[in-house]
Amino acid sequence: MKKLLLITVALLSINAFGQGKYEKGMMKAFDLWKNGKSSEASNLFERIAQAEQDNWLPPFYVAQVNIFNSFNEKDEEVLTAQLKKAQDFLNDAKAISKDNPEILVAQAQLYTAWVAFDGQRFGMTYAPKIAQLYEEAYKLEPGNPRVAFGKVEWDLGTARFFGQDTSTFCEDLASAVALFETYEPKGEFHPRGGGDYAKQSLEQNCKKE
Amino acid sequence: MKPAKKTTITFLLFLLLSTFSFGVYAQSEISGTVLQKNGTPVLGANVYLDGTYDGASTDANGKFSFTTEETGVQTLVISYVTYETFMMAADVSQLKNVSITLKEDVNSLDTVVISAGTFEAGDNSKVSVLKPLDVVTTASALGDFVGALQTLPGTTTVAEDGRLFVRGGDAGETQIFIDGIRVFTPYTPTTNNIPTRGRYSPFLFDGITFSTGGYSAEYGQALSSVLLLNTIDEPDQEKTDIGAMSVGASLGNTQKWEKSSLSFNGTYINLAPYIAAFPDRNDWEKPFEGYAGETVFRRKFDKGLLKWYAAFDGTNFELTQEDINLEDGLNFKLNNNNFYTNASYSGDLGESWKIRGGGSFTYSKNDIGIIDSDIDNTEKSFHLKLKLRKRFSNRFKLSVGAEQFFTDFDEDFQNPFAQANYGFNNDISAVFAEGDIIFSKKFAMKLGVRGEYSALFDDATISPRASIAYKTGKSSQISLAYGDFYQQPFNDILKFQQDLESQKTQHYILNYQYSAKNRIFRAEAYRKEYSSLITYDTQDPTFDSNYGNGGDGYAQGIDVFWRDNNSIKNVDYWISYSFLDSERKFNNYPERTRPPFANTHNLSVVAKWFISDWKSQIGFSHQYGSGRSYTNPNIPGFLQEQTRDYNSTSVNWAYLISQQKILYFSVNNVFGFNNINGYQYASTADVNGNFNRRALLPAADQFFFVGFFMTISEDGTDNQLDNL
Repeated sequence: MKKLLLITVALLSINAFGQGKYEKGMMKAFDLWKNGKSSEASNLFERIAQAEQDNWLPPFYVAQVNIFNSFNEKDEEVLTAQLKKAQDFLNDAKAISKDNPEILVAQAQLYTAWVAFDGQRFGMTYAPKIAQLYEEAYKLEPGNPRVAFGKVEWDLGTARFFGQDTSTFCEDLASAVALFETYEPKGEFHPRGGGDYAKQSLEQNCKKE
Repeated sequence: MKPAKKTTITFLLFLLLSTFSFGVYAQSEISGTVLQKNGTPVLGANVYLDGTYDGASTDANGKFSFTTEETGVQTLVISYVTYETFMMAADVSQLKNVSITLKEDVNSLDTVVISAGTFEAGDNSKVSVLKPLDVVTTASALGDFVGALQTLPGTTTVAEDGRLFVRGGDAGETQIFIDGIRVFTPYTPTTNNIPTRGRYSPFLFDGITFSTGGYSAEYGQALSSVLLLNTIDEPDQEKTDIGAMSVGASLGNTQKWEKSSLSFNGTYINLAPYIAAFPDRNDWEKPFEGYAGETVFRRKFDKGLLKWYAAFDGTNFELTQEDINLEDGLNFKLNNNNFYTNASYSGDLGESWKIRGGGSFTYSKNDIGIIDSDIDNTEKSFHLKLKLRKRFSNRFKLSVGAEQFFTDFDEDFQNPFAQANYGFNNDISAVFAEGDIIFSKKFAMKLGVRGEYSALFDDATISPRASIAYKTGKSSQISLAYGDFYQQPFNDILKFQQDLESQKTQHYILNYQYSAKNRIFRAEAYRKEYSSLITYDTQDPTFDSNYGNGGDGYAQGIDVFWRDNNSIKNVDYWISYSFLDSERKFNNYPERTRPPFANTHNLSVVAKWFISDWKSQIGFSHQYGSGRSYTNPNIPGFLQEQTRDYNSTSVNWAYLISQQKILYFSVNNVFGFNNINGYQYASTADVNGNFNRRALLPAADQFFFVGFFMTISEDGTDNQLDNL
């Protein structure tokens, strides 16, 4: 009995050694990202992605870092290069994990980066695609805070663009923000962020006068 | 028990120790520098050993350094955006202070593109002069893609015709392709002085390439120009579109499934109420009535995409037009039914081979009545095509293909005095091969050759095509193109005489292009040589005419295009100017002269202004064309006089009532310019020996349009603004 236990412990520790690299790598990459070294973070996620061919998370984060960097990017060449890279890695992630709401949201964000860059040029092409992506993601996982929040925020932005009343979205926005508190990520390193931004957005959009 | 425990502990200890020892003793350092071709260091390149976690990013000096526990031969990888990924296999001990120069990735966006002759419209093209949306938001175009293309340089203003006349060429010299497969009857039939429209609605296309010369060896049977339309690969969402217009109604629906989608679009047009409200210069017995249905089905496979497109449309009308030789006017009636279907497959075959193939079938039936003559004709045409493309490397790609055209044309003519039946069968077989060679980001070349065999003429032709492009600066490039192009005589000649040869042109093109920050400037100079053009010796082609291939001519000129979407906030505008010098001897021309469809100066100005506060987009367009030639029989000469200049200003206004409801207004020729397309002279002189004349005026000087469009979709955000 004791022997069995020990073997199990031994096996577990071997397993831990095997995973240690991945965990260490991911943690370091998140650290770099947090400390503003996003290009190094992207590079590290990229290295992990090529070593872990069956895991959708590393390529997903390569895309995520590059998409976030693209908001507020004014140079079209840089933007094009970053978003092309993001798209390539997002495609890799999609190939590993099909019908994944987090990836659909990232794809919607990627298109949103184009719209934010030049709405007149890209708005009409990407707006219906973005709406459709949130719709699909919502069907797959309505309780995912990033899905719920992304969808409401997009609909609210569209309504504002067309000069419509946006207050009707506040209730949905608030319940999406609440989801961030209760949502349990599906595993280690699975997406968990976005809550702070969502709160900010709620305050900005639905402040009581 | 004890020994076992001991073993396990030893084993664990061993594991721990070995990890530890690796950590201490078997670490090697890998270091070096990454540079660009010109010696500048690369910052932020990703350097790592393939399949491991070991790596680093380069610093501002291009330097990198990291440690690894790997031993033996490993692959060092360096990846950096817009550069080709570098790989090097070596023993880790040797990977110290290595110096690596990255090669630019010729697939990246700033690589030179061969642009001579070609205008691209679409999101995917590198330099897009026209966006898919422009087809429907250009004020003068009224939703017709041909109308939008007429605002590009290289086209001439032939307002009463409506088709594309390119660089001194007749309208029949332009061929239209959908998904690479030819469309045999692209225009709705019409009669004298009433412009036609493209048959196919712009709703279903997301890419348009318009080439005004020097195009790829993949395309043949076009002397002047090709227009390539690509249907949408994957629709965004399920939706229903409803339109109510002052001239008819439309309905569309898109359904999506996991791997396939189906779109349907139907339109009914009836000009009767409009003509009752705004009578025009024609006497309509039966105003224009048209109905059209189109459908696209798409199915995704693991390694390919199948698209099936089908369109059916019918047109009928009857009218009497003023005619100087006929006191009661000229009575004309038409009933046309047209069916077109095309299926295409594109996919990967593995090992860098790609396949694209498909076929089309056209059935077009016309019942035409002119006074007391009846003309009934039927055209049945097939096109089959297969193309293979191999990517040998990023720098060399080769395409080869074969295609077959078949046309069966049959016509019955009947009037109280005569009756005849005639027609022809026409088989054309073609093969083509083309290589794309990219020497560097700055220099690219395309070389192609096309061979065609016509069973009707028992004759073969070989046409070489070549183009090169060189990047002269960060945002500018020059291209050169040359090509030989053959096309058979049109159906209205072939139906009477088949003992002829193909007509030929040679194109020489020099193009300069500058594009940066949403601004594009293009200037293109060209020379076209025509030979073996068809001639005949009667007023119109008939049975009794003597036909020959003795015609020839030239066209030369300069086309200039400027589009700016950046300088003025919320305003997008473009200006096209074309200068054309062309003379030819063909048809029944007694001498080489400038044909009526080749006027010298053409100018288009198009602008769009989005006003957020008004939830509106306002569009403006102006077309100018210098005078067109006509023959005045009262003085000696042929096509020796010119009409006055053509001017037309159009405006439109799209108002978003809500996200899904749009109100749309447009007025063509808002200032009511009196345009004259030409003159018709009496066939006999009056008592004073004078030939009287009548100006050929448009049916109406102005055209008004009002429409309401609504979209119903699941998420409630899509609208039809892009359909207008």
